[in-house]
Amino acid sequence: MSDDKLLVVKDLTTTFATAGGDLPAVAGVSFDLARNETLGIVGESGSGKTVLSRTIMGLQPRVNTTVSGSSIIDGFEVVGASENEKRTIWGTEVAMVFQDPMTSLNPVMRIGKQIDEALRVRLGMNRKDAKARAIELLELVGIPSPDQRYNAYPGQLSGGMRQRVVIAIALACSPKLLMADEPTTGLDVTIQAQILNLLDELKERLKMSVILVTHDLGVVATRTSRIVVMYAGRIVETGTTRDVFYHHRMPYTRALLESSPKVANKSHTRLVTIPGRPPNLLSLSDGCSFAPRCKYATDQCHLVRPELQPSVEPGHTFACWNPLPINAEATLP
Amino acid sequence: MLRYLTKRLMLLVGIVFVISVGSFYLIHLLPGNPATVILGFGASPEAKAILYKQLGLSKPIYLQYFVWLGNILHGNLGISFISQTTVSSVIRSALPIDAEIIILSQIMAFAAAIPTAMRSARKPDGIIDRVLGATSFTLLSIPPYILIVVLVLFISIKLGVSGTGPSAYVSLGTDWITNLESLSLPAFTLATVSFVVYYRILRSDLIATLQEEFITMARSKGISQRRIMWCHAFRPSSVALLGAASVNIGGLLAAGFVVQYLLQIPGLGYTLILAINESDFLVVQGIVLTVSVLVVAINFFFDFVINMVDPRISRE
Amino acid sequence: MSSFSLEEAALMVEKPEKSEPLGLFFWICVFWIGLNVFGAIFANVLPLPNPLTENFNAINVGPGLHHLFGTDDLGRDIFSRIVYGSRVSITVGIGAILIGFGVGAPLGMLAAYRRGRFDSFLTTIMYVLLAFPAIIATIAVLSFWTPRSLFKIIVVIGVASIPLVYRVIRTATLSVATKDYVIAAKVQGATDRRILMKELLPNIAPIAVSFFLIGVATVITLEGALAFLGLSVNPPTPSWGNMINEARTVLTQNVWLAFFPSLALCLFLIALNFIGDRIRSHFDVTEVKL
Repeated sequence: MSDDKLLVVKDLTTTFATAGGDLPAVAGVSFDLARNETLGIVGESGSGKTVLSRTIMGLQPRVNTTVSGSSIIDGFEVVGASENEKRTIWGTEVAMVFQDPMTSLNPVMRIGKQIDEALRVRLGMNRKDAKARAIELLELVGIPSPDQRYNAYPGQLSGGMRQRVVIAIALACSPKLLMADEPTTGLDVTIQAQILNLLDELKERLKMSVILVTHDLGVVATRTSRIVVMYAGRIVETGTTRDVFYHHRMPYTRALLESSPKVANKSHTRLVTIPGRPPNLLSLSDGCSFAPRCKYATDQCHLVRPELQPSVEPGHTFACWNPLPINAEATLP
Repeated sequence: MLRYLTKRLMLLVGIVFVISVGSFYLIHLLPGNPATVILGFGASPEAKAILYKQLGLSKPIYLQYFVWLGNILHGNLGISFISQTTVSSVIRSALPIDAEIIILSQIMAFAAAIPTAMRSARKPDGIIDRVLGATSFTLLSIPPYILIVVLVLFISIKLGVSGTGPSAYVSLGTDWITNLESLSLPAFTLATVSFVVYYRILRSDLIATLQEEFITMARSKGISQRRIMWCHAFRPSSVALLGAASVNIGGLLAAGFVVQYLLQIPGLGYTLILAINESDFLVVQGIVLTVSVLVVAINFFFDFVINMVDPRISRE
Repeated sequence: MSSFSLEEAALMVEKPEKSEPLGLFFWICVFWIGLNVFGAIFANVLPLPNPLTENFNAINVGPGLHHLFGTDDLGRDIFSRIVYGSRVSITVGIGAILIGFGVGAPLGMLAAYRRGRFDSFLTTIMYVLLAFPAIIATIAVLSFWTPRSLFKIIVVIGVASIPLVYRVIRTATLSVATKDYVIAAKVQGATDRRILMKELLPNIAPIAVSFFLIGVATVITLEGALAFLGLSVNPPTPSWGNMINEARTVLTQNVWLAFFPSLALCLFLIALNFIGDRIRSHFDVTEVKL
């Protein structure tokens, strides 16, 4: 059976050399992604999810950064590849949609030109064809009057429009894998839904795999088939979306689910929070990183880091010494 | 855009007005009777009377200003005491030389500063970056006139060449090779000073720009490093560079004066200093007025260019 | 935000307290400045030959036992002239900048703090004045306002520097005055004077000191340029600029007359600029180096 995965990540580790010492932003992450599959990477700020998304495609900063492990996109090994080699897959195999469209678009370059650039440099199109294709792309992402907007500067567009442009640029060379790093954080709530729906639509049409990186569980609930939960640079639970929502074992996952406010709650219901703060990655202790904040923590949790172990359902793993009982339920937000 | 331009234009008018008042008042800083001082003691009473009338010295001071202004606007800046020709013709023959020196120096400075700054920004704290950083800092502190002295010393002693002196300069039209030769030293000195400023400013701005998110995005599109530097990073950073150029060129005119004088190149600077030494005050006044207006005009020109490069500024 | 700083921000790690260290070279420069100032102040009591005494038996002598740096074309001791010459440069430098700061700094702070019509009016005037190239104005005024004196030079350069000082101090105060802790102090009922002294002043002090030093360096350079144009102090009073200017005519016969004052001038300027720049980067904790 040809196990033809689009992305295979094994033991990926990213370490930053900072003034305060070595910072392991991502440690020992392994998972894979099939074609046409959508995966959600979920975690709080500082969990390492953004660094992970960039390291997977080799876009991590070039200075003071060490990467080990393996990340193979459609047969291409990203870790250890030179910048020139990586450039061959950027845009055409894998592309990224960044979080803040105001800062991810060049403010002094017209948006049409920014789309053209990808087409002409990577696909070798001439000016006329590139412009035509760019306008097609603008239309594809739902921008009205694309031929007029083609000449606009980013500052002249609204936040939602800008993000659509960013998506258009990412799709320009028809990548097989799309990384969306918090694509809707910072946008108005109504626009958020629009953009996410757009992404859904596009991935169907263009037959892409998508990795959705976010802290917002609501975003991944209905749009992903599998979820990876990250904490302090490591995967603490992973499985199908259903399993993670309904059959999670790791207390952190439970805490995350409980802390998203639910519309169905009565007004003035207290917001549930996770006490404490994420750990300082520069001085990680030996045990489980979540232990200081976990209400089920035992001595073992503080002393020894738990490895990922399988749960009942196939493909569902978690890392915990005192997991929640099987079939523990939580409601979908 | 239009509103921005008109605002700037009004500012320009205001500044030119201040310059004109200042230049006008200079004559009255002289100790004693302006006419006597300007023409010298040996002047005939008729000459004094003419000058008196021309400057309107018998009238109250604010009226004098308008008399003076009227003359200026007609192109009448007075007569040069030394050369007995009109001040405006003196200026007209000297100005192109300054222009050429500055243009040459800026071409050299930009041609050197832009690639080196790009290189340093790409690999900050590399060997080249460190060396350039230390050198530029040192050079920044050394005044241009000292550089000239050092260079002249070096050139005349070691290479046994002198090629300076008012006779050495030849206009472009006549013999462009000698022309470039004679202007190369002053242009080179000014270029060094400019290079140092441009290199530092462009480098630091590029480093800041390269940390922006849109650069990472451009990287993720798979375009080459060179393209990223030139097409994405350079343009926002060039604003800082143009700003520096604007300020620098104003200062260059003045620094250029000293340099010209040392090398005896008959530009405005040389003429000005000769005039100061010979007490040819009308020439001094004329040059001060012309140069000031020019500097301000150049500043505004650069403002305009900056606005074309980065339209965000006028949109505020 | 690049991916690097995203990580730093997300981790809520306290930024390491390592601001850029002052360094050995910094203190060498401080020492050098101190040495020069000491020489300038105590020139009279130091065992130096008279800087004005001409000695036609010892013209253009090279450095040696009798004359540490040699003699100039009139037989005067170069070393002694350099020490006495430092008086002119340092006095002009500090004097002019003191005038600039004395007027420009309080105005700048006040304007930035008060804002409103006072600020717009004053700032527009200052910016108009700033557009006028100061060097040319200085040359112009000094060439007309004769007879020349050290006092006049200091006054002219000083007044010319007021708009620039105003702008720098105002910009610095503006960035501090809008910070939350200043607004908080105001809400608590602190008087204006208290806010100015306790909140604003300490925060703009590093930039002010740094700019002061760099300003002195600029003025000293300017004085040198003026000397070349014959607009500085009159001979035979020694000044660094004067000496370099005089040296031009005898460049081939006496290299030392050009070399030593140039060296003295350059070293002093480099030291001043370095100290000024270091102070600024040391106290500028917002500029994180990656």
